[in-house]
Amino acid sequence: MTLRLQSSWLLEAVSEVATVDSVFFPIIHRFSALNWLSRREFSLSVNAVTASQAMILRAWLDGRNGPFSDKNLQKFNQQIKNPLDLSMNPFRAWKDRWFDRQQLDYLFYWREAAFEIEDEKQREIFWSAVYQIMSCWLSNRAGDMQTVCQPDEIMGLMLNRHGEFIRGREAKIEITNSSLDELEARNACLTVFPLVFADEESSETTLQIIFDAWQNGHDDLELPRRELRVQLRRYQISIERPNDYHIFTKLSSNSQIAAIAWSGADLPPTLYEQELVKPMQKAFEKRYTQSRLLMKAVDRSSDSYDYLLLFY
Amino acid sequence: MLITLFNAVLILLITWLAYLYFDLREKAMPARERYSQLLGGVSSIVDRLEGYDKAHSSEIAGLSLILGRASGMNDEQLQSLNAAAMLHDVGELLLPRSIMKSNKRLEGDDLELLRTHTLLGELHLKSQIDGLDEVPSLIRWHHERWDGLGYPDNLKGEEIPLAARVLALADAISAMNAQRSYRSRQFVRTDDIVAEVKRLSGMQFDPQLVKNWLAIGNPFEYKPK
Repeated sequence: MTLRLQSSWLLEAVSEVATVDSVFFPIIHRFSALNWLSRREFSLSVNAVTASQAMILRAWLDGRNGPFSDKNLQKFNQQIKNPLDLSMNPFRAWKDRWFDRQQLDYLFYWREAAFEIEDEKQREIFWSAVYQIMSCWLSNRAGDMQTVCQPDEIMGLMLNRHGEFIRGREAKIEITNSSLDELEARNACLTVFPLVFADEESSETTLQIIFDAWQNGHDDLELPRRELRVQLRRYQISIERPNDYHIFTKLSSNSQIAAIAWSGADLPPTLYEQELVKPMQKAFEKRYTQSRLLMKAVDRSSDSYDYLLLFY
Repeated sequence: MLITLFNAVLILLITWLAYLYFDLREKAMPARERYSQLLGGVSSIVDRLEGYDKAHSSEIAGLSLILGRASGMNDEQLQSLNAAAMLHDVGELLLPRSIMKSNKRLEGDDLELLRTHTLLGELHLKSQIDGLDEVPSLIRWHHERWDGLGYPDNLKGEEIPLAARVLALADAISAMNAQRSYRSRQFVRTDDIVAEVKRLSGMQFDPQLVKNWLAIGNPFEYKPK
């Protein structure tokens, strides 16, 4: 999903309507998108649609967990000097498709090492560093670039970045992991819906799927892909067919303001207004009396604009 | 007070020059040379005030254009990229001079304040000049990182528009070879810069752009003569 959630823009727009003291995200596409908001003076409640996503949110956004300790880094990030036996590696089917031989050795070793970490919070930081490393490896592979950093060096770098990322962060964030069907509306000033379009599997989604499979110790990607699809099926929207937006109206029913954010490309803004904004205004009209659509140009030559639709 | 009288006058001057640039662009498209001279004038004021040891903005603009072309950007996109490269640090003029002239590496609140220059630059240009299209957004995102750990929006991968990714890479390459008030040059040898860019591919930088940059015959040919 390509979505540029511009938090300061969101708050600036919303502050004309109310003073925000609490924000609720029924779904989030990426942990780092909440960095700016999670450092503000209000309570933030976020729901993750998968257990691994909830873990990554806790590891990177909850300051109470602290950084990964040097002692654990030395103990659990050893350099592999000789190649491991590939036949023992549960991820060997990924060789040359997603990762190279050396990367697979480390993925095998890091998974085993993670289970040896006694403290759960430290373990979660370690898992989530692997998530970031996988992201780097996969994008280098997609760009046909060789990863120059050695795996143990990149692990050190990622854990260092993590330490910087959480520095000065106070924990005011509540992270849940509920299915969207079971999730209840929150008494929050603002509920934010990042839109998920039905026809996309982005590189971020593929990463999430590979990470889930890896963490669970198997190479089958269809299972986590199916699980994610089931989770999102009632939330995903399509621009071509009618949507009922029931889940949106249900989850924002206790909020003073509802905000819907998406990034558009290749389609002109008038089409989004016609096919998305108007039906949403109809769906939300019982709960909110006013709405406002804001747009920002990103690249006019490809019709790329960021959209923010507010109901209040 | 954040904005001193001195800063306010500078901001007005820069805003006026930028306004002139975009106004002229609308009225007389063939006079591109004049626009780029105007932009060059604006950016040189910014560079001078920021105490850069070289023509930072024009160097970034030169590299950005080469990289942008190599990455398949069209003329319209290149025009916005050039303007964003020239003005990318304009928000720094709205910050206290003590922050910008500090000879220590910034930390904590000071670092957070410095990081607002991307937002200040975007807001100021947007509020003062109509018709800038995507230029303010590109200025907002010139410190985003490919791995999502940049700022201000923590955009990741292709969420960052191509022009902003180009700008971020060009800015970083230029900075690696520049002296700052708080440190000497990070890398003197061009080979070391190439190695560092390759090392950070997939983390700080878009791997495809790194590849495009390496494919340019002489990756440092953009340097002003």
